[in-house]
Amino acid sequence: MGLSGLEIFKQLPKTNCKECGYPTCLAFAMALANGKASLDACPDVTEEAKEALASAAAPPIKMVKVGAGDRVIEMGDETEIFRHDKRFNHPTAVTVEVKDTDDLDARLAVINDLTFERVGQEYSVDMIALVNASGDAGKFKAAAETVKGKTEKNVVLVSEDTAAMEGALDVLAERKPLVYAANKDNFEKMTELAKSKECPLAVKGEDLNSLAELVDKIVALGYKELVLDSGSRETSKVLADLTQIRRLAVRKKFRAFGYPSIAFTSKDDPQEDLMQAGVYLSKYASIVVLKTDKKEHLLPLFSWRANLFTDPQKPAQVQPGLHAIGDADENSPVYCTTNFSLSFYLVEGEVSSTRIPSYILSVDTNGTSVLTAYADNRYTAESIAAAIKSTGLEDKVKHKNIVIPGLVAVLKGSLEDESGWDVTVGPREASGITKFAKEKFA
Amino acid sequence: MAVEILKEKYRSQVREVVLGATKDEGGTRSATIKVGGESTLPFLHFEGEVPNPPVVAMEVWDIFPEEWPQNLKDAFGDALNDPAAWAKKCVEEFGADLIALRFKGADPDVKDASAEDCIAVLKTVLEAVGVPLIVYGCGKLEKDNAIIGPIGEAAEGENLLLGVAEQENYKSVASAAMAYKHSVIAQSPIDINIAKQLNILISEMSTPLLDRIVIDPTIAALGYGIEYSYSIMERARFGALNGDRMLGMPMIGNVGHEVWSKKETFIPVDEEPGWGDQAERSLAWEAVTAIALLQAGMNILVMRHPQAVKLVKQNIDELMQDNSY
Amino acid sequence: MIIIGERINGMFRDIAKAIREKDPTAVQEWAKKQEAMGSGYLDINVGPAVSDRVSAMRWLCEVTQEASKLPLCLDSTDYDAIEAGLEVCKQPAMINSVPAVQEKMDRVFQMASKYNAEVIGLAMSEEGIPKDAESRVALAMELVANCDAHGIPISNLYIDPLVLPCNVGQDHGPEVMETLRQIKLLSDPPPKTVVGLSNISLGTKNRELINRIFAVMAMSNGLDAAIADGCDEELIAAVATARIILNMDIYCDSYVDVFKNQNL
Ligand code: SF4
Repeated sequence: MGLSGLEIFKQLPKTNCKECGYPTCLAFAMALANGKASLDACPDVTEEAKEALASAAAPPIKMVKVGAGDRVIEMGDETEIFRHDKRFNHPTAVTVEVKDTDDLDARLAVINDLTFERVGQEYSVDMIALVNASGDAGKFKAAAETVKGKTEKNVVLVSEDTAAMEGALDVLAERKPLVYAANKDNFEKMTELAKSKECPLAVKGEDLNSLAELVDKIVALGYKELVLDSGSRETSKVLADLTQIRRLAVRKKFRAFGYPSIAFTSKDDPQEDLMQAGVYLSKYASIVVLKTDKKEHLLPLFSWRANLFTDPQKPAQVQPGLHAIGDADENSPVYCTTNFSLSFYLVEGEVSSTRIPSYILSVDTNGTSVLTAYADNRYTAESIAAAIKSTGLEDKVKHKNIVIPGLVAVLKGSLEDESGWDVTVGPREASGITKFAKEKFA
Repeated sequence: MAVEILKEKYRSQVREVVLGATKDEGGTRSATIKVGGESTLPFLHFEGEVPNPPVVAMEVWDIFPEEWPQNLKDAFGDALNDPAAWAKKCVEEFGADLIALRFKGADPDVKDASAEDCIAVLKTVLEAVGVPLIVYGCGKLEKDNAIIGPIGEAAEGENLLLGVAEQENYKSVASAAMAYKHSVIAQSPIDINIAKQLNILISEMSTPLLDRIVIDPTIAALGYGIEYSYSIMERARFGALNGDRMLGMPMIGNVGHEVWSKKETFIPVDEEPGWGDQAERSLAWEAVTAIALLQAGMNILVMRHPQAVKLVKQNIDELMQDNSY
Repeated sequence: MIIIGERINGMFRDIAKAIREKDPTAVQEWAKKQEAMGSGYLDINVGPAVSDRVSAMRWLCEVTQEASKLPLCLDSTDYDAIEAGLEVCKQPAMINSVPAVQEKMDRVFQMASKYNAEVIGLAMSEEGIPKDAESRVALAMELVANCDAHGIPISNLYIDPLVLPCNVGQDHGPEVMETLRQIKLLSDPPPKTVVGLSNISLGTKNRELINRIFAVMAMSNGLDAAIADGCDEELIAAVATARIILNMDIYCDSYVDVFKNQNL
């Protein structure tokens, strides 16, 4: 987003000396706003003004990285309030909390094992947050050693004690952990630590005002690899703070809030913990730190994240190919649809509620729906016949009967010729499948 | 430096819809429930009013829900055999704000229960609980059109929330609502344009119905396209706050219905070891779906598992706490 | 785009008569009619017919507000008359208008700040209407800077780039379009823009067609409001359609009716 004429004009000398080739400073400001001139053309712009203009032209939220090598996680660099306006760029980093008083070997083993596969996508926990719960610097350092040896995950080091942080950071500096946190008392030392090890630094306020003040002080110390925490922990307040941080950064280009954000859950009960994490993930947190390390809790959270951070401009796709629903066997019916996720899921939902084990053949239509793909020549007798071949369907089932969507009933003849299969025309809408299946296959 | 809090000024607010009717109002409910009325995005108390918290309706069927996973059935026990006892349990034990009565048994392929059968069930449920009711048919158009009139008539004045009016089939439900003083669920297939048009069609039958419509934008479950529903809801709500009166209705989501047919809710852990315990996972799936939809502006959540209901209601309580600056 | 209904104007005979005879019937009929067809504001102009503009303006505002809940746009070069109107407005009104002339801006922006009113600023100076976009934008910037200096949100300022009839000032057309675009670059948030729509067709033989086409062209260059005939069905349908194409309203099959009925 460019700068407005008024913003530029305010930074110009306002002498109307015409050196730039424009009759007035105002005209020059408008030319700049239009992208038709360059600031260098004015010989009298101060360095200060140049800097102010450059920083105002920077993206609203800075990208900050945590981690090293191929484990780097990018955060920030968001430009939207609503997902549907463009897209959210960087999925929230899901982070599980461990304490330096825990049985770390056991806990890290559990967390390392937290990988999930769902609809062809793999997820795993992005980071662990190591908390200096003991309050003891030596213990924290020892815990950092254990973390170093037992997991390759990225790390958030959680301690507001600078001595403890220094020790742990020495151990883990190469991982480029997030240093959590600089507060109003320790910020000078914390900033120095983070800066010297080139690690991102979390800034913790007591509310939005003190957060903004603290950020300015740290920026004045020359460090900008920051992550924001307003300090709030009640669900409603955190939602408000995360919303304000995002809005002020994107809409007002408020520099102090132009960084990624971190939110901590505050519940002991793992289910309630999950609910809070769900709220923060929905509304703008770049990192969510939660306590539960149960697969059954994290799977829904990862699924929501995967959905929320898709690009609304691109139709969501599922893996093309053959999908078995229930204990499908050689006698199971075969339905054919596209790989547009919404079509596929509708069909899948209806087919599974028939309780008749079945196959769904999802033809690669580049994520477009049945009618669009048909119009586009992606969902044709040839492409369906090719999918039957390439998925080895002929070896999976004994019969040669395939159900196609009622919307493309016209394909029946040509598909039969092309594939040698018998084609049954199914219902026009997925909602008709239950009745259809009951009549045909029950 | 003081941060200048950014408060949006919207032109309009969500319509407030009253569900149920007390004795004075011509019904028999012990209290009514208001939904909608907010003048800001979900839970942003710092810039607008959220006069009515979102509410949770629990689903009750007229027949035993054979197809539900065992852990879901176990949560209710024997009550599932008796709609009145089932509804009572939902309200008294599980804190349901409303009951959503679904006439599954009316399905010609299930029990083909008649309008009279449905009315008998409706009466026992109305007697068993004092909360307002949502009523769904079996999902088969012809049958639902045939039973909705008699059901509406039998409960005249109760201000039921009647489901569902669709673009190609809204007249029978809207007429029943008009004639017998009920409210209407206007359902559109994940399509904001149809959602808007349907409200216009209904209002052309009767303008006062505009304040008795609840939009069902059709929600998808977590992992099954929920992001489409989420964005449509956000757009509709944003439009409503900016003056689009034809999208300014409260919204309802059939969460339980969508979630509990998905394999994440019933596949046992030994088949998908990576997915964790089935019982816990299934209710988490329902609860997280609901939590996400709340953030897009959902006003009424229709749910099934008591523990998921509890978690979601607690989340609503927390989010209703003032967060003004 | 918001339509500022232009019909309550003493230039029209029925309104002049109403003012002279203190008979609100015609005024209130037009107020209701324009509101029912989707106008967002009602322009109030006492016209040339009366000598006591102050009390005429006050009276017009009062009787209009009895019939309509729309905000008013007080249209006069007599700032005492405008102030009299502002005093009786029940909700924030719009001041129509002020040129980029210093002492006039001082008076008007002060009033606007006092009554929390919006302001229409004209892109003209004592020297008149400039021809090219660049000079129009420069005057707009003066208005923006003065508005800002009075602590009034820039989004409460409507800049009128000033339209000339297309049969005499044809070369102004592209300049007006360019001005509309550039005004959006002036500040963030930018000022709004407004035109007196029927100026474009004065003295021509195709008035409604020209008005309508100009309206949609200007909208696609960012026009926010127009003082226009709020009862011109074809114009309203065109504006409603342009709003759909520009993704300002959510589409549905009955979108024209929805736009018209927005005040009901
Ligand atoms: S050179 Fe600089 S000071 Fe001179 S007119 Fe141009 S912008 Fe203004």
